[in-house]
Amino acid sequence: MEHSPVTTNPLIIMLINMTVVFIVLVALIYLIKLIHFVDPTKEKPKPAQAEEEEPLVAVKSEGAPPPVVEEGIKPEIIAAISAAIAAYGFSGQVKAVHIINHEGTPWRASAKFNNLQRK
Amino acid sequence: MEAINAFSVSLQAVWNDSGFSAFTLGNGIMILVGLLLLYMAFVKEFEPLLLGPIAFGCILANFPNTGFFGEEMNVMKAINYGITYEIFPPLIFLGIGAMTDFSPLLARPSTLLLGAAAQIGVFVALGGAMLVGFNVHEAAAIGIIGGADGPTSIYLSTKLAPHLLGAIAVAAYSYMSLVPLIQPPIMKLMTTQAEREIVMKELRQVTKFERVVFPIVSTIFISLLLPPIAALLGCLMLGNLFRESGVTDRLSDTAQNALINIVTIFLGTGTGMTMSAESFLRTDTLLIIALGLVAFMGGTAGGLIFGKLMCKFTGGEINPLIGSAGVSAVPMAARVSQLVGMKSKPGNYLLMHAMGPNVAGVIGTAVAAGTMLAMLK
Repeated sequence: MEHSPVTTNPLIIMLINMTVVFIVLVALIYLIKLIHFVDPTKEKPKPAQAEEEEPLVAVKSEGAPPPVVEEGIKPEIIAAISAAIAAYGFSGQVKAVHIINHEGTPWRASAKFNNLQRK
Repeated sequence: MEAINAFSVSLQAVWNDSGFSAFTLGNGIMILVGLLLLYMAFVKEFEPLLLGPIAFGCILANFPNTGFFGEEMNVMKAINYGITYEIFPPLIFLGIGAMTDFSPLLARPSTLLLGAAAQIGVFVALGGAMLVGFNVHEAAAIGIIGGADGPTSIYLSTKLAPHLLGAIAVAAYSYMSLVPLIQPPIMKLMTTQAEREIVMKELRQVTKFERVVFPIVSTIFISLLLPPIAALLGCLMLGNLFRESGVTDRLSDTAQNALINIVTIFLGTGTGMTMSAESFLRTDTLLIIALGLVAFMGGTAGGLIFGKLMCKFTGGEINPLIGSAGVSAVPMAARVSQLVGMKSKPGNYLLMHAMGPNVAGVIGTAVAAGTMLAMLK
């Protein structure tokens, strides 16, 4: 049902809206924590010995040289590839990024694929 | 003689019914605007999937005498119904949900705060729009551009200011494609080199239980609190549930490929069709485009400021660069955080950390839209 706005003061609208946005999202934070708390499938905390170990910090790649990048590849694509590889625990191991030429017949592409699999 | 007379009358009738007889300078300008947008979409690759159909719809909307919006039903009118009755934006959200991985957010829920803080841009632009003379409904629809969320912008403007839909959609999608140009200078200006070099701790593993329960619980909570956005948020989370359940691969595949592609074509073309010369060639359009930029910059700055606060309160565990990803241009804004972080320190991978605030931004913008609808509609 339509009604006239409660207020047309932009500052008040901003304050009310930002407050509601923060309250809703803070409530979501607690909901997520609650879901994690009641999760029957979560891993049990490891024994004290494991706690003494230093937490994993992604510092392996500190000072790693940037990869050699072939011309024509967008920096955001490099960023996405590097981040995906880093997510699998191989930070800083990207040495070079090249475009694989997909031109040619499907037979040629299939042969390339087979070669890659053999490697 | 009779034949010549009939020929002349027929030719005159063809001319009178043709678009050329009613063609105006405004139509010509708008067709040029459409061609410029086509160039940006297909040559410069600025959001080509959406800007392409929008541009072509804009060209189609400026042919006189087409009868697209006359009494009789036709395909263009049917497409327009999809926008007028808010059918397409929730369907787009269904596909986005099926493509979204909420794991980074579930692993570090505090990043939801960054998604909330980035909404400040929405309200800065709202205030600016009211200052330059827009009414509160129009200002709210313009402000939502700052959320960097195309479907939500279209959804809100259809409800609050349908006459501004074309300008708002073009501004929103244009700036979303320009995120890699708009954000980095602000990020560098607002953060120190030491802050940009912070390496964040690896995220914890998120279980399937959490990934399945989250979309259900959040839909129940937010839809009960803000019913006006139940369609948007419900579709987002339903799509996500298809993805995470593990037993509805076919539905997930359809939602994130075939369905979203079809709806994108209709949404883009329908939005372009609202860009007739009469509704677009106004000073308001230029103001909307300028205010959209203010909104984007404000959102980026808001996220960064909160990122700096979180960095301080966590003793340097949070890299403030992920704050700018709180604007919900997914995944572009997160990639920008990654790029700027990697330029400051090679080997510093922020992408997964930035995806948390990025998807939080989608929820935050929907909540902001719902709150404004509840207040103003």
